[in-house]
Amino acid sequence: MVLLQVIINGLLLGGFYALIGIGFSLVWGVTNIINLAHGAIALLGAYLTYYLFVSIQLDPFLSIPLSFVSIFLFGYMLQRFVMNLVVKAQIFILLILTFGLEIFLVNFMTTFFSADFRSVTPSYAGESLVIGEIVIPYIRLAVFFVCVIFAIAMGLFLDKTWTGKAIKATSLDIEAAMMSGINPAKIYAITFGLGSAIAGVSGTLLTLTQAFSPSIAGGLTLRAFIVSILGGLGRIEGALLGGLILGVVETLSSYLIGESYKNAIAFGLMVLVLVLKPSGLMGRKYYAEVKH
Amino acid sequence: MKRIIIAVILSISLLFAVTAFAEEIVFGAALSLTGKLAKEGTLVKNGYELWKEAVNKKGGIKVGGKNYTVKIIYYDDESDPNRGAKLVEKLITVDKVKLILGPYGSESVFATSAITEKYGAIMVQGGAAADKLYTRNFKNLFGIYTVATEYMDDIIELTKGKSPKSETVAIVYSNDLFSTEVAKGAKRSAEKNGLKVVFYQDYPKGTQDLSTVIVQIKGKNPDIILGCGHFQDTIVMVKQLKDYKVNPKVLGFSVGPTLPDFVNSLKGDAENIFGSAQWTMTLKYKDPVFGSNQEFVKAYKAKYKEDPNYHSAGGTAAAVIFQRAIEKAGSIDDIAKIRAALSSFNEETLYGKIKFDSTGKVTGKGMAVVQIIGGTQKTVFPDYVAETKPIYPKPQWK
Repeated sequence: MVLLQVIINGLLLGGFYALIGIGFSLVWGVTNIINLAHGAIALLGAYLTYYLFVSIQLDPFLSIPLSFVSIFLFGYMLQRFVMNLVVKAQIFILLILTFGLEIFLVNFMTTFFSADFRSVTPSYAGESLVIGEIVIPYIRLAVFFVCVIFAIAMGLFLDKTWTGKAIKATSLDIEAAMMSGINPAKIYAITFGLGSAIAGVSGTLLTLTQAFSPSIAGGLTLRAFIVSILGGLGRIEGALLGGLILGVVETLSSYLIGESYKNAIAFGLMVLVLVLKPSGLMGRKYYAEVKH
Repeated sequence: MKRIIIAVILSISLLFAVTAFAEEIVFGAALSLTGKLAKEGTLVKNGYELWKEAVNKKGGIKVGGKNYTVKIIYYDDESDPNRGAKLVEKLITVDKVKLILGPYGSESVFATSAITEKYGAIMVQGGAAADKLYTRNFKNLFGIYTVATEYMDDIIELTKGKSPKSETVAIVYSNDLFSTEVAKGAKRSAEKNGLKVVFYQDYPKGTQDLSTVIVQIKGKNPDIILGCGHFQDTIVMVKQLKDYKVNPKVLGFSVGPTLPDFVNSLKGDAENIFGSAQWTMTLKYKDPVFGSNQEFVKAYKAKYKEDPNYHSAGGTAAAVIFQRAIEKAGSIDDIAKIRAALSSFNEETLYGKIKFDSTGKVTGKGMAVVQIIGGTQKTVFPDYVAETKPIYPKPQWK
């Protein structure tokens, strides 16, 4: 029974990991940018949610659309006017740029929002669905569903809309896409905007389950990184699977081996996937191959 | 013209008289005024400065019928313990100061106290809580922070004799050095008090999920749950304990409840949670310099326009104890006598009842225990200096 509870906990946690991973994986897969500022961008969403909750008592779930739109614009501008200038440069330059952006954002948030840890506790926090001996906290369940809904919506967007198809096309073969009349600069900006927006939403959800400060940005990016590697770059289904696996592996290894080993095991798993199937569990040919 | 000459002569002679009368006693401190520990270092310095003002207003330190005006020489160690050590060496060898007030931070105290020991100078510090400071057989280091391994003793002490009786305890801790020490001490203290430790486990620092640990704790149904970690994981733990409906009689943390952000972050869920504190503003201790802890708080607020915390109070208390020892020793430069006075020290100060063991570590002071009651932190232990009675057992989550 405890084992079942532990697996459920892992899936619920994994939903959140998936969401933070989707945006990261999408950006990496399409634009070839490993966005080291991903966690910091997620925290922008978290602070937006926190201040809306504190000032006008806006429920964190209701601030999701606001996070999505505002962080989308932020990401779009960033790619359009900053990243696009160097996007054809070597991957190393891009890494330095996003790393610099991370440092800037973290210090910006520390200056204006302080280094204190924040958290949002709405009145319904701590309520749980109890089935026999199994406890499912409502907030975590809701976070899980929001994550899954976003993953599905994102998948549909990429498969069904013109813009989505253009994003996929750009990721598969940029020259061919340009010949079909797709403007890669614009597609890159939209992709980065979407990746950031989803990160912002995951930041919003983060405020409900834990305490955050600008200092945790790096840890969030790291989780996104593992999820992307596990699942395969540029694929929504991959990130979803990667997130769920990471969540379950963490809680299971915590239960079976020991809480303090869970990070080591998660990273061990990542290395194992890199050795056995470098394209990730659901990676496919042409997706996110290094294009230089 | 004559008058002017007389006036000049008079004032010059007066000046001489004053300098001849009021001799100085010089203390030295190398603490962090810039760098990552700047905030804490400055607070400790504030504590020293407040003490200096209070003492000098009373005419200074009285030794052997003479009054000595207090002077403190400060250096900035830039938050670097090695630099701190060099500066203390400078204080002793260049400035000829042998009475050293401690810096903030275990690493800084560790490094600088080695220098004071080497040169036969003496240090009283209110800024470090690591056990390792007192394992080097130093004779000339005295510290007033309760050490890490004794952090949780008083929360356990508080449950004694209360009904319904607590019999089992679960301890979880972050796997960094400090938290591990705190947890080790908590376990030892629990066992000494006849409690059964049913769960004892560490978790990675800064973890985002403790669900597995909490599900396992729930299976043991302990009476007391003690968390030894940091603010971030303390918040996660409280949220998930409520999620999984774990209801202990006592829920206590080493870090968290004493910070104002605790209630801001957790709202109603923070209610009735215990935390341990080196010092709180409401403890009703008497003090030889300020009269009482309350008077100290008042003086601090008047001077700095903010509430004192345990860093600044620690600075003041260390200096007060230093002063009392020097007065008792009856000498401002005989280190052996001052050391003897510190070793046999037994007085109530704003920081608590202070005694030192043979290693220079404070004993019997204990930690104050706070509890969140009605959205604010109240000091609930030790009984005789507390604001109010603790709420025990902790009511179930709402």
